[in-house]
Amino acid sequence: MEPQRKRRKTEESDTFLWEVLPVLSEELSQGIEFLQAYAAPIINKKDTSHLVKKLAAMYPLEGLQHIKRVRACRDKHSPHPLEIIVCLASDLNSKEEGGTIPSITALLHNSESDCTGLGEPFLVQIPAFPPLTRPQFEEASRHWPTSFHEDKQVTVALKGELFSKDEKATMQKYMEQAIEAAKAGKEEGMASVGALIVDPDIDAVLAVAHDCRNSPNPLLHAVMVCIDLIAHGQGGGAYNYKKYPACHFVPTDASHYLANDNSLPSVNLSSLEQATESGLPYICTGYDLYVTREPCVMCAMALVHSRIRRVFFGVISSDGALGTKYKIHTKKDLNHRFEVFKGVMEQDCQKLSQL
Amino acid sequence: MGTPCEGCSLDNHGVFHPCAEEIQKWMQKAFEMAKDALDNGEVPVGCLMVYNNEILGRGRNEVNETKNATRHAEMVAIDQVLEWCHCNDKDPGDVFERTVLYVTVEPCIMCAGALRLLRIPLVVYGCKNDRFGGCGSVLDIPADNLPQTGAPFKCISGYRAEEAVEMLKMFYKQENPNAPKSKARKKD
Repeated sequence: MEPQRKRRKTEESDTFLWEVLPVLSEELSQGIEFLQAYAAPIINKKDTSHLVKKLAAMYPLEGLQHIKRVRACRDKHSPHPLEIIVCLASDLNSKEEGGTIPSITALLHNSESDCTGLGEPFLVQIPAFPPLTRPQFEEASRHWPTSFHEDKQVTVALKGELFSKDEKATMQKYMEQAIEAAKAGKEEGMASVGALIVDPDIDAVLAVAHDCRNSPNPLLHAVMVCIDLIAHGQGGGAYNYKKYPACHFVPTDASHYLANDNSLPSVNLSSLEQATESGLPYICTGYDLYVTREPCVMCAMALVHSRIRRVFFGVISSDGALGTKYKIHTKKDLNHRFEVFKGVMEQDCQKLSQL
Repeated sequence: MGTPCEGCSLDNHGVFHPCAEEIQKWMQKAFEMAKDALDNGEVPVGCLMVYNNEILGRGRNEVNETKNATRHAEMVAIDQVLEWCHCNDKDPGDVFERTVLYVTVEPCIMCAGALRLLRIPLVVYGCKNDRFGGCGSVLDIPADNLPQTGAPFKCISGYRAEEAVEMLKMFYKQENPNAPKSKARKKD
Protein backbone atom coordinates (compact mmCIF):
# COMPACT_ATOMS: atom_id res chain seq x y z
CA MET A 1 0.00 0.00 0.00
CA GLU A 2 2.71 2.37 1.02
CA PRO A 3 4.89 2.01 -2.10
CA GLN A 4 1.87 2.57 -4.32
CA ARG A 5 1.11 5.92 -2.70
CA LYS A 6 4.69 6.92 -3.01
CA ARG A 7 4.76 6.10 -6.67
CA ARG A 8 1.71 8.20 -7.33
CA LYS A 9 3.33 11.10 -5.54
CA THR A 10 6.46 11.01 -7.68
CA GLU A 11 4.38 10.76 -10.83
CA GLU A 12 2.57 13.91 -9.83
CA SER A 13 5.73 15.88 -9.10
CA ASP A 14 7.27 14.64 -12.31
CA THR A 15 5.56 17.36 -14.30
CA PHE A 16 7.72 20.39 -13.58
CA LEU A 17 7.47 22.95 -16.32
CA TRP A 18 10.76 24.52 -15.29
CA GLU A 19 14.40 23.59 -15.05
CA VAL A 20 16.79 24.75 -12.36
CA LEU A 21 20.33 25.57 -13.50
CA PRO A 22 23.38 26.73 -11.59
CA VAL A 23 24.81 30.20 -12.23
CA LEU A 24 28.50 29.33 -12.36
CA SER A 25 31.59 31.51 -12.14
CA GLU A 26 33.15 32.98 -15.25
CA GLU A 27 35.94 30.34 -15.20
CA LEU A 28 33.45 27.50 -15.11
CA SER A 29 31.10 28.80 -17.77
CA GLN A 30 33.48 30.21 -20.34
CA GLY A 31 34.68 28.50 -23.52
CA ILE A 32 38.20 27.14 -23.90
CA GLU A 33 41.11 29.30 -25.03
CA PHE A 34 43.74 27.74 -27.27
CA LEU A 35 47.44 28.16 -27.96
CA GLN A 36 49.22 27.20 -31.17
CA ALA A 37 51.81 24.46 -30.85
CA TYR A 38 53.97 22.27 -33.04
CA ALA A 39 53.49 18.53 -32.85
CA ALA A 40 55.43 15.83 -34.68
CA PRO A 41 54.86 12.12 -35.43
CA ILE A 42 56.85 9.63 -33.39
CA ILE A 43 58.23 7.33 -36.07
CA ASN A 44 59.19 4.46 -33.82
CA LYS A 45 56.94 3.76 -30.82
CA LYS A 46 59.90 2.45 -28.80
CA ASP A 47 61.49 5.91 -28.74
CA THR A 48 58.50 7.50 -26.99
CA SER A 49 59.72 7.71 -23.39
CA HIS A 50 63.15 8.84 -24.52
CA LEU A 51 61.60 11.58 -26.72
CA VAL A 52 59.25 12.72 -23.93
CA LYS A 53 62.24 13.21 -21.60
CA LYS A 54 64.32 15.00 -24.17
CA LEU A 55 61.55 17.38 -25.25
CA ALA A 56 60.51 18.06 -21.64
CA ALA A 57 64.07 19.21 -20.95
CA MET A 58 64.24 21.31 -24.08
CA TYR A 59 60.67 22.75 -23.94
CA PRO A 60 59.18 22.25 -20.46
CA LEU A 61 55.76 23.79 -21.44
CA GLU A 62 55.49 25.67 -18.15
CA GLY A 63 51.98 26.28 -16.85
CA LEU A 64 50.58 23.64 -19.21
CA GLN A 65 50.71 20.63 -16.88
CA HIS A 66 47.20 19.68 -18.01
CA ILE A 67 48.45 18.93 -21.55
CA LYS A 68 49.23 15.29 -22.25
CA ARG A 69 52.42 15.45 -24.25
CA VAL A 70 51.71 12.37 -26.38
CA ARG A 71 48.51 11.39 -28.17
CA ALA A 72 47.48 8.49 -30.35
CA CYS A 73 47.52 9.39 -34.01
CA ARG A 74 44.02 10.14 -35.20
CA ASP A 75 44.55 8.74 -38.68
CA LYS A 76 44.13 5.00 -38.23
CA HIS A 77 45.97 4.28 -41.50
CA SER A 78 49.00 6.35 -40.54
CA PRO A 79 52.29 4.46 -40.45
CA HIS A 80 53.15 6.00 -37.04
CA PRO A 81 50.86 5.36 -34.06
CA LEU A 82 51.77 8.32 -31.79
CA GLU A 83 52.26 12.09 -31.98
CA ILE A 84 54.05 14.39 -29.53
CA ILE A 85 53.97 18.11 -28.72
CA VAL A 86 57.36 19.60 -29.56
CA CYS A 87 56.88 23.20 -28.41
CA LEU A 88 54.56 26.18 -28.43
CA ALA A 89 54.59 28.33 -31.53
CA SER A 90 55.44 31.21 -29.19
CA ASP A 91 58.54 29.36 -27.94
CA LEU A 92 60.29 30.12 -31.23
CA ASN A 93 61.79 33.43 -32.17
CA SER A 94 59.20 34.53 -34.67
CA LYS A 95 61.59 34.71 -37.61
CA GLU A 96 59.51 32.37 -39.70
CA GLU A 97 56.65 34.39 -41.04
CA GLY A 98 53.95 33.76 -43.59
CA GLY A 99 52.67 30.59 -41.96
CA THR A 100 55.45 28.29 -43.08
CA ILE A 101 56.05 25.49 -40.65
CA PRO A 102 59.67 25.18 -39.56
CA SER A 103 61.44 21.88 -40.09
CA ILE A 104 62.03 19.53 -37.18
CA THR A 105 65.73 20.36 -37.24
CA ALA A 106 64.91 24.05 -36.84
CA LEU A 107 62.60 23.28 -33.89
CA LEU A 108 65.31 21.25 -32.19
CA HIS A 109 68.01 23.90 -32.59
CA ASN A 110 69.59 22.17 -35.61
CA SER A 111 71.01 19.35 -33.54
CA GLU A 112 70.77 16.46 -36.01
CA SER A 113 71.19 13.72 -33.42
CA ASP A 114 68.10 14.82 -31.47
CA CYS A 115 65.89 14.80 -34.53
CA THR A 116 66.04 11.11 -35.19
CA GLY A 117 62.78 9.47 -34.29
CA LEU A 118 60.56 12.45 -35.09
CA GLY A 119 58.71 13.12 -38.35
CA GLU A 120 58.01 16.53 -39.86
CA PRO A 121 56.13 18.90 -37.53
CA PHE A 122 52.59 20.22 -37.99
CA LEU A 123 50.50 22.86 -36.22
CA VAL A 124 47.91 21.97 -33.56
CA GLN A 125 45.71 23.95 -31.17
CA ILE A 126 46.17 23.04 -27.52
CA PRO A 127 43.95 24.21 -24.60
CA ALA A 128 45.58 27.10 -22.74
CA PHE A 129 43.98 26.26 -19.35
CA PRO A 130 42.92 23.05 -17.60
CA PRO A 131 39.26 22.25 -18.28
CA LEU A 132 37.05 22.63 -15.17
CA THR A 133 33.73 21.30 -16.44
CA ARG A 134 32.80 18.35 -18.64
CA PRO A 135 31.69 20.55 -21.57
CA GLN A 136 35.04 22.36 -21.39
CA PHE A 137 36.85 19.00 -21.21
CA GLU A 138 34.98 17.69 -24.23
CA GLU A 139 35.77 20.82 -26.23
CA ALA A 140 39.44 20.74 -25.16
CA SER A 141 39.82 17.04 -26.00
CA ARG A 142 38.62 17.55 -29.55
CA HIS A 143 41.89 19.45 -30.09
CA TRP A 144 44.44 17.73 -27.87
CA PRO A 145 44.18 15.35 -24.88
CA THR A 146 44.23 16.99 -21.45
CA SER A 147 43.97 15.76 -17.91
CA PHE A 148 40.67 16.54 -16.17
CA HIS A 149 39.87 16.50 -12.47
CA GLU A 150 36.14 16.34 -12.69
CA ASP A 151 33.96 18.03 -10.08
CA LYS A 152 31.07 15.55 -10.17
CA GLN A 153 28.68 17.99 -8.56
CA VAL A 154 29.28 20.62 -11.23
CA THR A 155 28.76 18.01 -13.97
CA VAL A 156 25.48 16.91 -12.45
CA ALA A 157 24.40 20.52 -11.94
CA LEU A 158 25.14 21.44 -15.56
CA LYS A 159 22.94 18.60 -16.73
CA GLY A 160 20.14 20.10 -14.63
CA GLU A 161 20.15 16.90 -12.58
CA LEU A 162 21.50 18.23 -9.31
CA PHE A 163 18.15 18.16 -7.55
CA SER A 164 15.78 15.27 -7.00
CA LYS A 165 12.07 15.52 -7.72
CA ASP A 166 11.38 15.94 -4.03
CA GLU A 167 13.86 18.78 -3.83
CA LYS A 168 12.28 20.43 -6.84
CA ALA A 169 8.88 20.06 -5.20
CA THR A 170 10.28 21.89 -2.14
CA MET A 171 11.65 24.64 -4.37
CA GLN A 172 8.28 24.97 -6.07
CA LYS A 173 6.51 25.15 -2.69
CA TYR A 174 8.74 28.03 -1.59
CA MET A 175 8.74 29.90 -4.89
CA GLU A 176 4.93 29.74 -4.95
CA GLN A 177 4.96 31.60 -1.62
CA ALA A 178 7.37 34.22 -3.02
CA ILE A 179 5.03 34.66 -6.00
CA GLU A 180 2.06 35.08 -3.64
CA ALA A 181 3.99 37.75 -1.74
CA ALA A 182 4.81 39.53 -5.02
CA LYS A 183 1.10 39.58 -5.90
CA ALA A 184 0.17 40.90 -2.45
CA GLY A 185 2.77 43.66 -2.91
CA LYS A 186 1.34 44.51 -6.31
CA GLU A 187 -2.03 45.07 -4.68
CA GLU A 188 -0.36 47.60 -2.37
CA GLY A 189 0.97 49.43 -5.43
CA MET A 190 4.47 47.94 -5.26
CA ALA A 191 6.71 46.41 -7.91
CA SER A 192 5.66 42.76 -8.20
CA VAL A 193 8.73 41.11 -6.71
CA GLY A 194 8.53 38.62 -3.86
CA ALA A 195 11.16 37.00 -1.65
CA LEU A 196 11.36 34.35 1.02
CA ILE A 197 14.09 33.21 3.38
CA VAL A 198 14.06 29.64 4.64
CA ASP A 199 16.18 27.56 6.94
CA PRO A 200 16.74 24.46 4.78
CA ASP A 201 17.98 22.39 7.73
CA ILE A 202 14.56 22.49 9.37
CA ASP A 203 12.52 23.17 6.21
CA ALA A 204 10.99 26.29 7.76
CA VAL A 205 10.06 29.70 6.37
CA LEU A 206 11.69 32.46 8.44
CA ALA A 207 10.70 35.58 6.50
CA VAL A 208 8.36 36.51 3.64
CA ALA A 209 8.58 39.87 1.86
CA HIS A 210 7.40 41.81 -1.13
CA ASP A 211 9.03 44.77 -2.77
CA CYS A 212 8.37 48.08 -0.97
CA ARG A 213 10.34 50.39 -3.26
CA ASN A 214 7.24 52.40 -4.14
CA SER A 215 6.85 53.28 -0.46
CA PRO A 216 8.61 56.37 0.94
CA ASN A 217 11.86 54.32 0.80
CA PRO A 218 12.94 53.49 -2.78
CA LEU A 219 15.68 51.13 -1.52
CA LEU A 220 13.29 48.66 0.09
CA HIS A 221 13.66 46.01 -2.60
CA ALA A 222 12.15 42.64 -1.67
CA VAL A 223 15.57 41.17 -0.79
CA MET A 224 16.44 44.11 1.50
CA VAL A 225 13.07 43.73 3.25
CA CYS A 226 13.66 40.00 3.71
CA ILE A 227 17.11 40.56 5.22
CA ASP A 228 15.67 43.10 7.66
CA LEU A 229 12.81 40.77 8.58
CA ILE A 230 15.37 38.10 9.51
CA ALA A 231 17.04 40.75 11.72
CA HIS A 232 13.65 41.37 13.38
CA GLY A 233 13.34 37.64 13.98
CA GLN A 234 16.69 37.77 15.78
CA GLY A 235 15.65 40.72 17.96
CA GLY A 236 17.02 43.52 15.75
CA GLY A 237 15.76 45.14 12.57
CA ALA A 238 15.64 48.66 11.21
CA TYR A 239 12.22 49.17 9.60
CA ASN A 240 8.58 48.78 10.51
CA TYR A 241 6.33 46.78 8.17
CA LYS A 242 3.00 47.14 10.01
CA LYS A 243 1.49 48.72 6.90
CA TYR A 244 2.38 45.65 4.85
CA PRO A 245 0.92 42.53 6.47
CA ALA A 246 2.21 40.31 3.66
CA CYS A 247 5.75 41.07 4.92
CA HIS A 248 6.30 39.01 8.02
CA PHE A 249 8.89 37.06 9.97
CA VAL A 250 9.11 34.15 12.38
CA PRO A 251 11.18 34.73 15.52
CA THR A 252 14.15 32.40 15.37
CA ASP A 253 14.01 30.82 18.77
CA ALA A 254 13.06 27.25 19.47
CA SER A 255 10.07 27.87 21.74
CA HIS A 256 8.30 29.92 19.12
CA TYR A 257 8.88 27.31 16.44
CA LEU A 258 7.14 24.76 18.60
CA ALA A 259 4.25 26.97 19.68
CA ASN A 260 3.29 27.91 16.14
CA ASP A 261 2.60 24.52 14.71
CA ASN A 262 0.27 25.66 11.96
CA SER A 263 2.65 28.19 10.44
CA LEU A 264 5.50 25.71 10.48
CA PRO A 265 4.00 22.28 9.98
CA SER A 266 7.19 20.49 9.07
CA VAL A 267 9.57 21.51 11.84
CA ASN A 268 11.81 18.60 12.63
CA LEU A 269 12.63 18.61 16.31
CA SER A 270 16.03 16.98 16.23
CA SER A 271 17.40 19.19 13.47
CA LEU A 272 16.00 22.23 15.25
CA GLU A 273 17.97 21.25 18.32
CA GLN A 274 21.04 20.91 16.17
CA ALA A 275 20.48 24.38 14.76
CA THR A 276 20.13 26.02 18.15
CA GLU A 277 22.89 23.97 19.75
CA SER A 278 25.54 25.76 17.69
CA GLY A 279 24.53 29.04 19.30
CA LEU A 280 22.29 31.90 18.33
CA PRO A 281 21.50 32.40 14.66
CA TYR A 282 23.85 34.88 13.01
CA ILE A 283 22.23 37.03 10.31
CA CYS A 284 21.41 34.81 7.28
CA THR A 285 24.16 32.21 7.79
CA GLY A 286 22.98 28.85 6.48
CA TYR A 287 19.73 30.19 5.05
CA ASP A 288 18.33 29.99 1.50
CA LEU A 289 16.67 32.88 -0.34
CA TYR A 290 13.93 32.43 -2.93
CA VAL A 291 13.24 35.52 -5.02
CA THR A 292 11.06 35.85 -8.09
CA ARG A 293 13.66 37.73 -10.14
CA GLU A 294 17.43 38.14 -10.18
CA PRO A 295 18.62 40.68 -7.57
CA CYS A 296 20.23 44.01 -8.47
CA VAL A 297 23.80 44.86 -7.42
CA MET A 298 22.71 46.43 -4.12
CA CYS A 299 20.67 43.39 -3.12
CA ALA A 300 23.28 40.90 -4.34
CA MET A 301 25.99 42.52 -2.21
CA ALA A 302 23.56 42.74 0.72
CA LEU A 303 23.32 38.93 0.45
CA VAL A 304 27.13 38.63 0.58
CA HIS A 305 27.17 40.78 3.74
CA SER A 306 24.36 38.63 5.19
CA ARG A 307 26.22 35.33 4.52
CA ILE A 308 23.32 33.70 2.66
CA ARG A 309 23.87 30.00 1.80
CA ARG A 310 22.00 29.64 -1.51
CA VAL A 311 19.83 31.80 -3.75
CA PHE A 312 17.08 30.50 -6.05
CA PHE A 313 15.51 32.93 -8.48
CA GLY A 314 12.92 32.71 -11.23
CA VAL A 315 13.82 35.06 -14.07
CA ILE A 316 16.92 37.05 -14.90
CA SER A 317 17.01 40.90 -14.74
CA SER A 318 18.74 43.11 -17.30
CA ASP A 319 21.00 44.71 -14.62
CA GLY A 320 21.05 41.55 -12.48
CA ALA A 321 24.14 40.96 -10.32
CA LEU A 322 23.89 37.17 -9.86
CA GLY A 323 24.73 36.12 -13.40
CA THR A 324 23.67 38.84 -15.84
CA LYS A 325 25.84 41.95 -15.28
CA TYR A 326 27.95 40.58 -12.44
CA LYS A 327 28.46 37.29 -10.65
CA ILE A 328 28.83 38.79 -7.19
CA HIS A 329 28.32 35.34 -5.60
CA THR A 330 31.48 33.92 -7.23
CA LYS A 331 33.88 36.83 -6.76
CA LYS A 332 37.08 35.49 -5.19
CA ASP A 333 38.14 38.82 -3.68
CA LEU A 334 34.97 39.06 -1.56
CA ASN A 335 34.86 37.35 1.83
CA HIS A 336 31.78 35.18 1.22
CA ARG A 337 30.60 33.14 -1.74
CA PHE A 338 27.33 31.30 -2.24
CA GLU A 339 25.50 29.11 -4.74
CA VAL A 340 22.95 30.56 -7.13
CA PHE A 341 20.34 28.69 -9.18
CA LYS A 342 18.04 30.20 -11.76
CA GLY A 343 14.88 29.14 -13.53
CA VAL A 344 12.72 28.04 -10.58
CA MET A 345 9.12 28.46 -11.84
CA GLU A 346 10.52 30.73 -14.52
CA GLN A 347 7.31 31.23 -16.48
CA ASP A 348 5.22 32.05 -13.42
CA CYS A 349 7.86 34.54 -12.27
CA GLN A 350 7.97 36.02 -15.76
CA LYS A 351 4.22 36.60 -15.65
CA LEU A 352 4.63 38.78 -12.53
CA SER A 353 6.24 41.54 -14.59
CA GLN A 354 3.14 41.67 -16.80
CA LEU A 355 0.75 42.22 -13.89
CA MET B 1 24.37 74.70 -4.18
CA GLY B 2 22.18 76.93 -2.02
CA THR B 3 24.84 79.38 -0.94
CA PRO B 4 27.97 78.20 -2.71
CA CYS B 5 31.24 79.55 -1.43
CA GLU B 6 33.71 81.06 -3.86
CA GLY B 7 35.88 77.99 -4.23
CA CYS B 8 33.03 75.62 -5.04
CA SER B 9 31.92 75.18 -8.62
CA LEU B 10 29.59 73.37 -10.96
CA ASP B 11 31.26 71.41 -13.75
CA ASN B 12 30.08 71.10 -17.37
CA HIS B 13 27.65 68.36 -16.38
CA GLY B 14 26.14 70.43 -13.60
CA VAL B 15 27.87 68.32 -10.95
CA PHE B 16 28.72 70.26 -7.82
CA HIS B 17 32.39 70.35 -6.82
CA PRO B 18 33.05 71.42 -3.27
CA CYS B 19 36.21 73.39 -2.51
CA ALA B 20 38.89 72.13 -0.12
CA GLU B 21 37.48 74.11 2.79
CA GLU B 22 34.03 72.72 2.23
CA ILE B 23 35.40 69.16 2.11
CA GLN B 24 37.40 69.74 5.28
CA LYS B 25 34.37 71.07 7.12
CA TRP B 26 32.07 68.12 6.31
CA MET B 27 34.65 65.37 6.46
CA GLN B 28 35.56 66.45 9.97
CA LYS B 29 32.00 65.67 11.02
CA ALA B 30 32.02 62.36 9.12
CA PHE B 31 35.15 61.36 11.06
CA GLU B 32 33.36 62.19 14.31
CA MET B 33 30.62 59.74 13.27
CA ALA B 34 33.21 57.06 12.50
CA LYS B 35 34.75 57.58 15.95
CA ASP B 36 31.30 57.09 17.47
CA ALA B 37 30.97 53.78 15.61
CA LEU B 38 34.35 52.61 16.90
CA ASP B 39 33.37 53.53 20.47
CA ASN B 40 30.25 51.42 20.06
CA GLY B 41 31.91 48.30 18.68
CA GLU B 42 30.82 48.92 15.11
CA VAL B 43 32.98 49.10 11.95
CA PRO B 44 34.31 52.71 12.07
CA VAL B 45 32.68 54.28 9.05
CA GLY B 46 30.90 57.62 9.34
CA CYS B 47 29.11 59.76 6.79
CA LEU B 48 27.13 62.89 6.13
CA MET B 49 24.58 63.82 3.48
CA VAL B 50 24.70 67.52 2.63
CA TYR B 51 22.05 69.38 0.65
CA ASN B 52 21.94 73.17 0.21
CA ASN B 53 24.75 73.55 2.73
CA GLU B 54 22.67 71.70 5.28
CA ILE B 55 23.23 68.29 6.87
CA LEU B 56 20.13 66.20 6.14
CA GLY B 57 21.51 62.87 7.25
CA ARG B 58 24.29 61.51 9.44
CA GLY B 59 25.16 57.87 9.59
CA ARG B 60 27.54 55.43 11.14
CA ASN B 61 27.66 51.67 10.86
CA GLU B 62 24.85 50.02 12.90
CA VAL B 63 25.24 46.39 11.84
CA ASN B 64 25.69 44.81 15.25
CA GLU B 65 23.07 46.97 16.89
CA THR B 66 20.36 46.02 14.37
CA LYS B 67 21.58 42.46 13.58
CA ASN B 68 21.22 43.55 9.97
CA ALA B 69 24.45 43.36 7.94
CA THR B 70 23.16 45.98 5.49
CA ARG B 71 23.02 48.80 8.05
CA HIS B 72 26.10 50.60 6.79
CA ALA B 73 26.64 54.30 7.55
CA GLU B 74 25.38 55.32 4.11
CA MET B 75 22.12 53.36 4.46
CA VAL B 76 21.50 54.90 7.89
CA ALA B 77 22.09 58.43 6.56
CA ILE B 78 19.85 57.78 3.53
CA ASP B 79 16.99 56.89 5.87
CA GLN B 80 17.43 60.19 7.70
CA VAL B 81 17.31 62.13 4.43
CA LEU B 82 14.12 60.26 3.49
CA GLU B 83 12.64 61.15 6.86
CA TRP B 84 13.61 64.80 6.36
CA CYS B 85 11.94 64.80 2.92
CA HIS B 86 8.82 63.31 4.45
CA CYS B 87 8.67 65.92 7.25
CA ASN B 88 9.41 68.83 4.92
CA ASP B 89 7.15 67.68 2.11
CA LYS B 90 10.00 67.45 -0.40
CA ASP B 91 10.34 64.97 -3.24
CA PRO B 92 13.23 62.62 -2.34
CA GLY B 93 14.18 62.34 -6.00
CA ASP B 94 14.81 66.10 -6.27
CA VAL B 95 16.71 66.20 -2.97
CA PHE B 96 19.03 63.24 -3.60
CA GLU B 97 19.92 64.56 -7.05
CA ARG B 98 21.52 67.58 -5.33
CA THR B 99 22.99 65.88 -2.30
CA VAL B 100 26.69 65.23 -1.72
CA LEU B 101 27.78 62.25 0.39
CA TYR B 102 30.87 62.68 2.59
CA VAL B 103 32.07 59.33 3.94
CA THR B 104 35.29 58.23 5.65
CA VAL B 105 35.66 54.97 3.65
CA GLU B 106 34.93 54.11 0.00
CA PRO B 107 31.31 52.89 -0.23
CA CYS B 108 30.97 49.10 -0.58
CA ILE B 109 29.35 47.47 -3.63
CA MET B 110 25.94 47.44 -1.95
CA CYS B 111 26.05 51.10 -0.91
CA ALA B 112 27.39 52.16 -4.31
CA GLY B 113 24.37 50.40 -5.83
CA ALA B 114 22.06 52.23 -3.42
CA LEU B 115 23.69 55.61 -4.23
CA ARG B 116 23.16 54.94 -7.95
CA LEU B 117 19.52 54.01 -7.40
CA LEU B 118 18.99 57.34 -5.60
CA ARG B 119 20.89 59.29 -8.28
CA ILE B 120 23.26 60.93 -5.83
CA PRO B 121 25.67 62.90 -8.09
CA LEU B 122 28.85 63.10 -5.98
CA VAL B 123 30.64 61.11 -3.29
CA VAL B 124 33.65 62.44 -1.36
CA TYR B 125 35.47 59.72 0.57
CA GLY B 126 38.60 59.08 2.64
CA CYS B 127 40.35 55.74 2.18
CA LYS B 128 39.90 52.87 -0.28
CA ASN B 129 37.99 49.77 0.76
CA ASP B 130 40.04 46.83 -0.52
CA ARG B 131 37.67 44.19 0.84
CA PHE B 132 34.29 45.38 -0.44
CA GLY B 133 34.87 48.67 -2.28
CA GLY B 134 32.31 49.37 -4.99
CA CYS B 135 33.89 52.57 -6.37
CA GLY B 136 36.93 51.06 -8.05
CA SER B 137 38.55 48.70 -5.51
CA VAL B 138 36.60 45.48 -6.16
CA LEU B 139 34.03 46.73 -8.69
CA ASP B 140 33.37 50.13 -10.24
CA ILE B 141 29.63 50.53 -9.73
CA PRO B 142 29.43 54.34 -10.25
CA ALA B 143 31.02 54.07 -13.72
CA ASP B 144 29.65 50.75 -15.02
CA ASN B 145 26.92 50.50 -17.63
CA LEU B 146 23.80 49.76 -15.57
CA PRO B 147 20.89 51.51 -17.32
CA GLN B 148 18.28 50.04 -14.97
CA THR B 149 20.18 51.00 -11.81
CA GLY B 150 19.74 54.75 -11.36
CA ALA B 151 22.51 57.06 -12.54
CA PRO B 152 26.32 57.04 -12.53
CA PHE B 153 28.05 59.27 -9.98
CA LYS B 154 31.39 61.03 -9.49
CA CYS B 155 33.90 60.39 -6.71
CA ILE B 156 36.57 62.51 -5.01
CA SER B 157 38.83 60.29 -2.93
CA GLY B 158 41.79 60.37 -0.59
CA TYR B 159 40.79 62.91 2.04
CA ARG B 160 42.45 61.98 5.41
CA ALA B 161 42.80 58.46 4.00
CA GLU B 162 45.53 57.31 6.40
CA GLU B 163 43.47 58.31 9.39
CA ALA B 164 40.45 56.40 8.07
CA VAL B 165 42.60 53.28 7.48
CA GLU B 166 44.07 53.59 10.98
CA MET B 167 40.58 53.50 12.49
CA LEU B 168 39.67 50.39 10.47
CA LYS B 169 42.86 48.69 11.61
CA MET B 170 42.02 49.48 15.22
CA PHE B 171 38.63 47.86 14.77
CA TYR B 172 39.86 44.72 13.04
CA LYS B 173 42.47 44.19 15.73
CA GLN B 174 39.63 43.72 18.18
CA GLU B 175 37.42 40.69 17.86
CA ASN B 176 33.84 40.86 16.71
CA PRO B 177 31.96 39.87 19.88
CA ASN B 178 28.77 39.37 17.85
CA ALA B 179 30.11 36.80 15.42
CA PRO B 180 29.27 33.19 16.28
CA LYS B 181 32.03 31.25 17.97
CA SER B 182 34.01 29.24 15.50
CA LYS B 183 34.07 25.47 15.89
CA ALA B 184 37.79 25.49 16.51
CA ARG B 185 37.37 27.71 19.54
CA LYS B 186 34.55 25.62 20.95
CA LYS B 187 36.94 22.79 21.77
CA ASP B 188 38.86 24.63 24.47
